[in-house]
Amino acid sequence: MRCAAVRLIRQPDGRRDPVTEQRWIVRIHGVHRYFKRGSERLDVLNDLTLNVPEGEFLGLMGPSGSGKTTLLNLIAGLDKPSEGQVWVGEELISSMSESQLARWRTRHVGFIFQFYHLMPVLTAYENVELPLLLLPLSARQRREQVMTALDLVGLSDRVRHRPGQLSGGQQQRVGIARAIVTDPTLIVADEPTGDLDARSADEILNLLDELRRSQHKTILLVTHDPRAAQRADRILHLEKGQLVEQRQAEGTPP
Amino acid sequence: MKFFRLMLKNIRRNLIGSIVIVLGTMVLVPVVIFVWSILAFLDAATAEKSKDFKGIVTERWRLPSQMPFAYAASLSEGAASKPGDIKPEDSMTWQFYGGTLDPEKRTRENSMFAIATEPRKLRTMMDELDTLPPEEAARLDEAIQKMEQNRQGIIMGQDRLAAVNKRVGERIKLYGINYRDIDLELEIVGTFPESRYDNTAAIHRDYLLAALDAYERQTGQPHPLADKTLNLVWLRVPDSEAFAKVAGQILASPNYTSPAVKFETAASGIASFLDAYRDLIWGMRWLLAPALLFTLALVISNAISISVRERQKELAVLKVLGFRPWQIMALVLGEASLVGVLAGLCSAGATFATVNFVFGGFKFPIAFFGAFYIPADAIVWGVGVGLLTALLGSVMPAWNAGRIRVSEVFAKVA
Repeated sequence: MRCAAVRLIRQPDGRRDPVTEQRWIVRIHGVHRYFKRGSERLDVLNDLTLNVPEGEFLGLMGPSGSGKTTLLNLIAGLDKPSEGQVWVGEELISSMSESQLARWRTRHVGFIFQFYHLMPVLTAYENVELPLLLLPLSARQRREQVMTALDLVGLSDRVRHRPGQLSGGQQQRVGIARAIVTDPTLIVADEPTGDLDARSADEILNLLDELRRSQHKTILLVTHDPRAAQRADRILHLEKGQLVEQRQAEGTPP
Repeated sequence: MKFFRLMLKNIRRNLIGSIVIVLGTMVLVPVVIFVWSILAFLDAATAEKSKDFKGIVTERWRLPSQMPFAYAASLSEGAASKPGDIKPEDSMTWQFYGGTLDPEKRTRENSMFAIATEPRKLRTMMDELDTLPPEEAARLDEAIQKMEQNRQGIIMGQDRLAAVNKRVGERIKLYGINYRDIDLELEIVGTFPESRYDNTAAIHRDYLLAALDAYERQTGQPHPLADKTLNLVWLRVPDSEAFAKVAGQILASPNYTSPAVKFETAASGIASFLDAYRDLIWGMRWLLAPALLFTLALVISNAISISVRERQKELAVLKVLGFRPWQIMALVLGEASLVGVLAGLCSAGATFATVNFVFGGFKFPIAFFGAFYIPADAIVWGVGVGLLTALLGSVMPAWNAGRIRVSEVFAKVA
């Protein structure tokens, strides 16, 4: 998909894996995230370090409260670490202001939610168009990009349907189209199959897989579902705010 | 424009909130318009003009003014007595007569306030009656002509005629209230067009004077008020220079010393009359109108706050997509403003049309003004009130919407 909003990210040599020469899209270094409730401190992420290369499909697993969503929010620029640095591409997003992060998210992150979170009064087309409203694009450019995204998720015949007129799987496809319409650097998905039946879940996972292969997207997937995690190139397990296990997904060459 | 469409869609999303704003605006905007129409009219009536204005001669030290009728002729000439003195362009004398149809059981309905004056001056000197549409002017001219021919004629305001349950052509007998024992037998020769004179009547001054003469003939002594019958003299002058000159002539004249008189602009005179209503007007302007606006803003604020709470997830999603806090604030403010402006416009338009064209003004007796009309400006006021209250009411909810924390909202969802 060609996208007028896409930005080339120039990587200095130091931002490549010295062994594989892969480009890091996400680099997290010494990140702590804690919340204060009165005098009590609740540590959610502890001294976390993580590098994600470009084009990787990364699965994040772990029990409830382990910090998966917090980590995802830090990478997506929805939250800031209490300590440490978060780099996405060339940008040190952990030092950005809220407004800078908002602008950055529009161009660089596509977010897929478990419960789709589509605007109920907007059609599929209008839902997908939402992030493009924030970019300096003409109506014609927006239409082209929306139709390309809807075409990619196989919903070009449902453009005028509202979320209430679509099945759960179709709504999630609209959600995916909305996430990719700005041609982002990174797609983050928080349990995207959690609210779907097995067949729809498979279709969504196939679609994410296809996006990674054909569009070379880097995908971060938070899931409880081991079947969903199997699609990932690499699975990280989080427990009590720390990466306690890191292994290649089954069937993926080391 | 691209965000405008989103606002319109969100108004539908927030249907109950939008309906509450519309209903609140539709109810309160007319009340604000009523209050402001009265205030605007009174402000206009008491605003000084620079050209073609009227002045009022009254007794200097006493209210109500009660001058001897002997003053009438020379005051109508602006006390011009020497070469070089200037005369007013027009003049009119007013003698107030209050009477009742039933002296045994006096009620508001059977009582009447009449201005005894020169009939032909009704059309040239009385506000609003000098600018009537041709049809209404012809009807009033016909009534005035009848009163000129029959000094027992009376022209009545339409509400007063309805209140006493009489028709044009019928005869009535008024028993004097302020002029005790001066009873007048009158024939209703016409009505005033719908105007501020709906509760007023006009009688021929010659008939009142003749009745006072008759009293003296019958009792052998003048009526106690015989020398105090002239309440006002209206003078029309072309400009402020002429006004000052005429004022100088009247003040310098030795003819008006007992009692002494003053000459002031109509605006100033009306303001003096309205002084008795100062507290009421102050209350309307500074308490009632702001209280109404505040109430409407609270209603809107409540409706928008509920809507923002209901739509927290959607607003959080907008943030995730990259909407900045001020853009979300602007969306919420824009939605409320759009509904407020449309509701204000519809409400003010409906109030203007209904009050002016269906009911012929709204009755609110204050001083000698009985009915008020909604000025065309009220449509702009309606839009302004709708916009202002919507903005005031939605500032806090919009601020809260802009500050929604995505991680907290989705933590609740999970």
